[in-house]
Amino acid sequence: MTIKIAARNVFRNRRRTLISLLVIGIGLTILSFVLGFVGEAITAAQRSLAMELGALQIGDPRVLDGKASGLEGLIDPEVAQRALALVEELPNVAGVTTQVRFAGLVGDEQGSTLLLARGIVPEDCMANYACLIVAGRGLEGSEAREIVLGERLAERLGVGPGDRVNVATGTVSGTLNAATVTVVGVVQYGEAQVEERLGFVPLGFAQRLLRTSGVERILVWLDDLDQASGFAGQLTRAFSSAGLPLAVRTWDELTPFFASLETFWSAFSGFTTLAVFALVLFSVLEVLTISFLERTREVGTVRALGASRGRVFAGFVSEGVLVGIVGGLGGAVSGAIVAVLFNALGLTFVPPGGNMPQPIRVAVSASTLVIPFLVALGATFLSSLYPAAKNARLTVVEALRSL
Amino acid sequence: MQRSSFCYVAGTPVLETQGLTKHYTLGQETVRALDRVDFTAVQGDFAVVNGPSGSGKTTLLNMLALIDRPSEGEVLFEGRPTRRLSEGELALLRREKIGLVFQTFNLIPVLSVAENVEYPLLLTKTPRGERRGRVAARLEEVGLSGFEKRRPDELSGGQRQRVAVARALVTAPRIVLADEPTANLDSATGRQIMELLQGLNRDHCVTFLVVTHDPSVLDYAQRVLTIRDGRIQGEEKRGAPRPA
Repeated sequence: MTIKIAARNVFRNRRRTLISLLVIGIGLTILSFVLGFVGEAITAAQRSLAMELGALQIGDPRVLDGKASGLEGLIDPEVAQRALALVEELPNVAGVTTQVRFAGLVGDEQGSTLLLARGIVPEDCMANYACLIVAGRGLEGSEAREIVLGERLAERLGVGPGDRVNVATGTVSGTLNAATVTVVGVVQYGEAQVEERLGFVPLGFAQRLLRTSGVERILVWLDDLDQASGFAGQLTRAFSSAGLPLAVRTWDELTPFFASLETFWSAFSGFTTLAVFALVLFSVLEVLTISFLERTREVGTVRALGASRGRVFAGFVSEGVLVGIVGGLGGAVSGAIVAVLFNALGLTFVPPGGNMPQPIRVAVSASTLVIPFLVALGATFLSSLYPAAKNARLTVVEALRSL
Repeated sequence: MQRSSFCYVAGTPVLETQGLTKHYTLGQETVRALDRVDFTAVQGDFAVVNGPSGSGKTTLLNMLALIDRPSEGEVLFEGRPTRRLSEGELALLRREKIGLVFQTFNLIPVLSVAENVEYPLLLTKTPRGERRGRVAARLEEVGLSGFEKRRPDELSGGQRQRVAVARALVTAPRIVLADEPTANLDSATGRQIMELLQGLNRDHCVTFLVVTHDPSVLDYAQRVLTIRDGRIQGEEKRGAPRPA
């Protein structure tokens, strides 16, 4: 009966209840949208970084931690082979590749510019960057004298697929080496500054140019990114037992800015959650206070009939919670609908420093629906406590005297 | 309603006051709303407390209903002192042994007639089947069978007061206290309500204490107590109630 009375009282003054529900609904829709946007932004950044870097990277600790250049800490081919054998023993490995990175100059007799090159294994589809190709084709042979250039770099040099350019760099022994290569493709990388200097060459060619047979790092992709940390520990122990002088770093250890990015987004969504919580709390508090005070005489009546203070208190709190449940469900559904409609618009934006439009999407997930619902429930529960306690504390005579 | 076994022990004290005093402080002034009231309501009584406005009638009723505490003196319920009882113990006594009828009916507007009558039984955790039976029987007694699903705002004043009477009786209380039960009714409806109470007292031995300033109510009383300035001025015994 307590719930029945509470439910009927909730809809006793329909206009007032509707206002409360609207406030909750609008607040939760905004919250759901923000949480969905932030969730999607974090997931997209995580996905993109992990795609680029691999879930794990194996290499000389000085190189991985940025304390030495790649050429100073190359992995010996025999060590690399043993490490790869250990990686292959792990379950759920989605892909493995090796890379060497070097800096040099690229150009022709007209002029040259800085090149930040990556020697990659074209056959390893997880890291051949084929999906970024906007003109020409990707690299094909591990030994071929080919290069794929960043779009901005290609524009600066005035070259395209089929043109030949010279690449010069220092070898591991410190001497200079150069070669003429054919531009086979152009990639759009997404970051303008990187794209102005970026080039990919086959790993075998890069090693010949650098006069080494070593690799700089081994990249490992996993089926489940959440397992990265566990696998890193496992590999570190395996390398240590095998006497391999290698370190393992997870994708997030390699990108400390991701933690800052995540903290920023989490603070943003936390602040929004708090603001919506406060909005619902104070709006519903005002409505419930008026609504409860109007029924002081009824409190007197039921107390005179023998209802305990606790029962009166529970009745009023039930009303607040019911408003929270109805408003919370409405807000969660409305948030999901708005997110789906927003995603259907297919909006994009070009991030600062970027040159490729990125989709703006809003995630619809359990957390973007459940958190707003809990916010509504918590806020309405809290907002009902004060007026409920105030009514329950009244003496029967005081309550009955109320008009 | 079956005739209560208490009727066979008519004359047993149900409610008793000893030196009951209530004073309020208004600014610098202390107002004595009740001044050493001694009074006993016995099983089967139909007592009326009569007096002008401000005489202390409602204050007395509040003390007897255990919804207000005296400044001095004692209220004994079935011989048991109540002054030191906790809020919870007083609430238990109210829900199990006291029926209340208010001047303004005080029905819960969001509940139907049947639900209003059922409400006190929920407080006593009476099983559902028994609740249904008791509600139907009380509504029949007050002449409201067929009105179960109506809301209070769909009833006349007299019908509302009948619902209030059914609600007061549904737990089979030891005493029903009525505060100006006819004040908000026209005289014909007021008479009907008083006849209903009188019938319940006569046929089912329900003990009634009615507080009123309406002289026509006195015709139904077995005992009339006159209160003025917070003191019982006199008591008139009228013997058997007037036949309906």
